[in-house]
Amino acid sequence: MPPEAPPTLRDFFAAWELFADPALAGALAGALLGALGVYVVVRRMVFLSAALAQAAGLGVAGAWFAQIHVGVPAGLATPTVGAGLASALAATLMASGEAGLKGRRDGWLGGVYLVGAAGTLAIGTRIVQEVQDIETILFGSAVAVSPDDLRALAWTVGLLGALHLVGLRGFVQVAVDENGARVRGLPVRLLGLLLMGSLALAVSFGTRILGALPVFAFTVLPPLAALRLAPNVGHAVLWATLIGALAGFAGYVAAFLWKLPVGAAQTLTATVLLAMAWVAGKGLQWQHNRSAHRGGHIHGPGCGHVAIRHGDHVDYLDDGQLQHQGGAGHEVHHLHGHVAAAGYDHGHDHDHEGCPTAPQGHVHGPGCGHPRIAHGDHHDYLVGGRLHHQHGDHCDDHGPVDVVE
Amino acid sequence: MMTTQTAAPVHDEAPALVSCAALAVGYAGKAMLPPVTLQVRPRQLWAVFGPNGSGKSTVLKTVLGLLPPVAGEFACTASSLGYVPQRSEIDPAIPARVIDMVRAGVERKWSFLDPSWTWKNRAAIDDALGDTHIRALVREPWTHLSEGQKQRVLMAQALAGNPQLLVLDEPTSAMDVHAERAIFALLDDLRRRRDLGVMVVGHNLGVLARFATHALFVDKDQAAVDAGLVRDVVRGSAFVERFGRGVAEHLGASDAT
Repeated sequence: MPPEAPPTLRDFFAAWELFADPALAGALAGALLGALGVYVVVRRMVFLSAALAQAAGLGVAGAWFAQIHVGVPAGLATPTVGAGLASALAATLMASGEAGLKGRRDGWLGGVYLVGAAGTLAIGTRIVQEVQDIETILFGSAVAVSPDDLRALAWTVGLLGALHLVGLRGFVQVAVDENGARVRGLPVRLLGLLLMGSLALAVSFGTRILGALPVFAFTVLPPLAALRLAPNVGHAVLWATLIGALAGFAGYVAAFLWKLPVGAAQTLTATVLLAMAWVAGKGLQWQHNRSAHRGGHIHGPGCGHVAIRHGDHVDYLDDGQLQHQGGAGHEVHHLHGHVAAAGYDHGHDHDHEGCPTAPQGHVHGPGCGHPRIAHGDHHDYLVGGRLHHQHGDHCDDHGPVDVVE
Repeated sequence: MMTTQTAAPVHDEAPALVSCAALAVGYAGKAMLPPVTLQVRPRQLWAVFGPNGSGKSTVLKTVLGLLPPVAGEFACTASSLGYVPQRSEIDPAIPARVIDMVRAGVERKWSFLDPSWTWKNRAAIDDALGDTHIRALVREPWTHLSEGQKQRVLMAQALAGNPQLLVLDEPTSAMDVHAERAIFALLDDLRRRRDLGVMVVGHNLGVLARFATHALFVDKDQAAVDAGLVRDVVRGSAFVERFGRGVAEHLGASDAT
């Protein structure tokens, strides 16, 4: 019997009716979690989504346990309700406990994560008939999504998307600079609560439908890719939405083509996209440096470097080097006796112990506080528009230069 | 030794932007300094200085409303505050261009009911870019800027909100003498042209005395606070105790008042 031919994309789209709901669910969840994940990554709390996803998993397992062993009606103890309640409880605990954590936010998140994971596994041993579903919760091996789940997910994505589109600038400001946002009078507390609520809702839905692993992946990997490519956090939210959607959809297709667990395939797809973004980001950076800077910095008025008139142009003093901002980037210019300001005859005009104009006993050298400047075959120090040369235990005056204020 | 001194009479009669009367600052209800009494008015530049860990940032955070006063009276009547944090507080891993940083400054009145606030305030953004001489840098990423340029960007961000009071936390750390002087010269120019009250934390006594009109000296170790005109503060017993009479006389002769 000939070996079975591997499935192709044509096969996937031929059976589109069968795969449409889970593939679209992956795309929707990836888009929402990717967008929200930007704030999670910027605020350096990536374990938040992992902890919420594990808590949601515990909620799903708890709902089944309640149905089977406690006798709670199936209409009440649905996995969706369990996931929502558990992640909302975890989010509330984390939000309210944060003030008393004294910088131990990571430990708190780790605790929630561990309780969620251990609780899910422990309850799994008591609901053996649902053990397959426990694996689904933890690793995301779901292959089918009900139309009701997809509809609920679409509504969630729509409502949260609208909220975050309107509030984009506020959410960005609080994520980037919370103290600054507070001083500027933004509703920091409200925005924080809305973000936490959005995450709890998105993570609980995502965990219920896709599993904890891809949910964690979508809130970390697409945002990292987007932050690599985007010029600012607002744009990164848009990029992460697109990358997350792509990872969710393409991951499902990859699972079909290579017969992989869906959650693992979606996570690996997001990882590949992150790697591509990293390379693209390097390329963008190279292009930017090449076209605009060449030296990573544009010299000009107010650039922070001392400006010195050098013949018919102005150069800038950067780390002891006289640099000229030309069209092709920085050119290194050299200061010789003849380019110093008029009236200088390149001699040693005075011969003092220590520096005559700096505070008493001052000795010029690296870190002395005066700008160092290459002058012929040696280095001088710029003090009050004159070149000072430390010569043994005394200071020589190597003449004036035109410092541009 | 416990030293407390009331601020000396101010130059003009403009209403105070910030008034502190026996204000105690600290954490968790515990004062870390003797009470502070001062008034900051438009066009005044207050240098806040003292040894490391002496409570300078705690004073600033209280003025900014980030920390509640422990005791005493505090009133801030400035319609808006501009805050310039230390450059080290900006996470270089977060992508941002100069224009993005400055735009953030106009978000003061942002709300869900008016999400287009930034667009309506582009004139204020442009003024802030012009006043800090960074118009040519608007598309530059933050990580490509020199320390002096970064400081100007943060100042532009604060100015974009058209503040009456500008509060800066160590704006010239890690800068050479020339860059530091340039930043203070800009600050001096801005406070005159924009009628700004300014409070700035710094360490270089020479530059502070050159540009400041008033000083707040804090020293947790000596349990001392001294506020007033620069020449009075640097001749005060707390300052002399810490830095010596020679420094006090040198600085007293060079203050901007």
